[in-house]
Amino acid sequence: MKTGETGILTTTIDKALEWGRSNSLWPLTFGLACCAIEMMAVQGSHFDISRFGSEIFRNSPRQSDLMIVSGTVTKKMAPRLKRLYDEMPYPKYVIAMGVCVIQGGPYVKGYSVVLGVDRVVPVDVFVPGCPPTPDALTYGIMTLQKKIRGETDR
Amino acid sequence: MVEILEEKKGKDGRPIFVIKKSDLLEFMRQKKQEGFDHLSLITGVDRKDYMEVNYHLYSFSKNQYIVVKVTTDNLTVPSLISLWKSADWEEREQYDMLGIRFDGHPDLKRMFLPESWVGHPLRKDYDLNNVQYINMDEYGEDYATFDPGDGW
Amino acid sequence: MSNLVELNMGPQHPSMHGVLRLRLKLDGEIVREIEPIIGYLHRNAEKLCEMDYFCDNIVYFDRMDYVGAMNMEVGFLEAAEKLLGVEPPERAQWIRVVAAELNRIAAHLVWMGAFGLDLGMLTPFFYCFIEREKILNIFVELSGTRQQYNYMSIGGVYQDITPKIIEEIKEFIKQFPKKLEEIANLFLKNDIFLSRNRGLGVIEKETAISYGVTGPILRASGVPYDVRKEEPYLVYDKLNFDIPVSQKGDNLARFMIRLEEIRQSVKIVDQAITKIPDGPYFNPKAKKSLMIRLRGEGEVYARTESSKGEFGVYIVGDGGVKPYRVHVRSPTFKNLSIIPAVAKDKMIADLIAILGTFDLVFGEIDR
Repeated sequence: MKTGETGILTTTIDKALEWGRSNSLWPLTFGLACCAIEMMAVQGSHFDISRFGSEIFRNSPRQSDLMIVSGTVTKKMAPRLKRLYDEMPYPKYVIAMGVCVIQGGPYVKGYSVVLGVDRVVPVDVFVPGCPPTPDALTYGIMTLQKKIRGETDR
Repeated sequence: MVEILEEKKGKDGRPIFVIKKSDLLEFMRQKKQEGFDHLSLITGVDRKDYMEVNYHLYSFSKNQYIVVKVTTDNLTVPSLISLWKSADWEEREQYDMLGIRFDGHPDLKRMFLPESWVGHPLRKDYDLNNVQYINMDEYGEDYATFDPGDGW
Repeated sequence: MSNLVELNMGPQHPSMHGVLRLRLKLDGEIVREIEPIIGYLHRNAEKLCEMDYFCDNIVYFDRMDYVGAMNMEVGFLEAAEKLLGVEPPERAQWIRVVAAELNRIAAHLVWMGAFGLDLGMLTPFFYCFIEREKILNIFVELSGTRQQYNYMSIGGVYQDITPKIIEEIKEFIKQFPKKLEEIANLFLKNDIFLSRNRGLGVIEKETAISYGVTGPILRASGVPYDVRKEEPYLVYDKLNFDIPVSQKGDNLARFMIRLEEIRQSVKIVDQAITKIPDGPYFNPKAKKSLMIRLRGEGEVYARTESSKGEFGVYIVGDGGVKPYRVHVRSPTFKNLSIIPAVAKDKMIADLIAILGTFDLVFGEIDR
């Protein structure tokens, strides 16, 4: 800054914003099925998601910036999921939790399950497992934080 | 007088009564008076050329369990909603899944799927390759469509 | 009179326990009409069961009542083993009882925590989940996973219970009753909790029977119906336990019944864990290479007591390696159908409290 070069200041603010954003993710309370119980376990005392600044689960999509799609998305639920996603303010992120959300899971042969939530909303992080353990979901959130901060995860 | 076509025992030891469809209401009324106050389950089975409907009854006071079986070839069975309130949702579910119409049900509509869904999924001839989608209209009601359209 | 306000509650709502949607007609704060709309988690499990081998069907049952998956497995295997003519050995039956009862405790703890959340009490949730984690740690050692175990298989269990796990269960049982009293005191010494639940949502005995309600809700209304006593499966007839019954039928009664059921489950595990006999833990007739060749013909209905009520599985076989028709009598499906009758003419806040006591699990209602 002493040299008066422009550009350094803006990148710093961006970095600060990204850092702040990544450490205060407010997820939407959006439990669909089995994985929602593991999402509750992540909130609970043993795994304690608040270490990563995400403990405030908001009930309104307008106050949250992270949607953890936890559990099978059925065709009947998909339009509502889309609407909830549309109601969330920018910047917004989606974590697809569990194999049902990723590609249909055990219900892939059926008639009423959406084969992957990425057909409805864009997904940032996929967390596989049936259901993923709370550790896996925590790792997914950390991966998302890295992604927000612009770090590559190798 | 109710005619019992066949009385047998299932593999689990529960007595099964096969009766005529026209006698169903009368037979069930008798059974309810005998103390079978719990209608546990209604199951429709698609036997390809006819439908079979099984009613599982239980008596809390006598600790007895019976199965009543009727068959239908025109997809209609009398509704039992006048005897047990629990018949309401069970019949709606069977209507949704198998398309069995329950005569006398006041509000027979689909339980799980939207009203405009084509076909009844648990039938043996249901075509799983014919993919349907569900969309939501402006009033929040669901409708089924073959064309995914926006948002899919 | 048509100045009623129509309000949609759910499917995304913090106290709908998943994806229940209620269409309410409101007169101010008072609910005049309730229409539950379900099917938002309809995953066509019954259709998929027809497309898979008997031994694979257990996957779909695990995912029905996902907080009490061991009880679902017991329910399915009771029916499937009768149909296929495979008898599980004695040791497997005792292990199943231990697993099912531990899972019943875990399921009730989840319910208790969520019920607290519905009423705005955050603390019990953390207490309940600490205890639940302890049970899940035992299940991880037993089956390898935390929630959808796929632990029991046709003709026995997937792997044996080891002395180490038995010691862990004994240790858990020793410290748990004290913790349970702590959790119960969080509720029962809270005046707000008591005044919000006492005398609310009363279900009469006749209404409950007519709607086909089972489980803790029926027992809270004064019918001592528990499948474990009425038609004992596995080895429940060799165990000594009581069925709690209350005559009041209100929210508080349902809470007390579930609390007492946890205590009884502790008692059952305590007895069963010392009685597990030696021997094989699976029937060689159903070993893994032969399992997909098992054929079943006829029809079988088996009922078991899950943590929610009478869980029945009806299987029709046509002599093939796959079932011809599978139908599930899910307890919460029946329990939910009574909501329009019970919560009518109550405040919205009371509707939430009543719904909270029903222990709804949508994997099971919609299947």
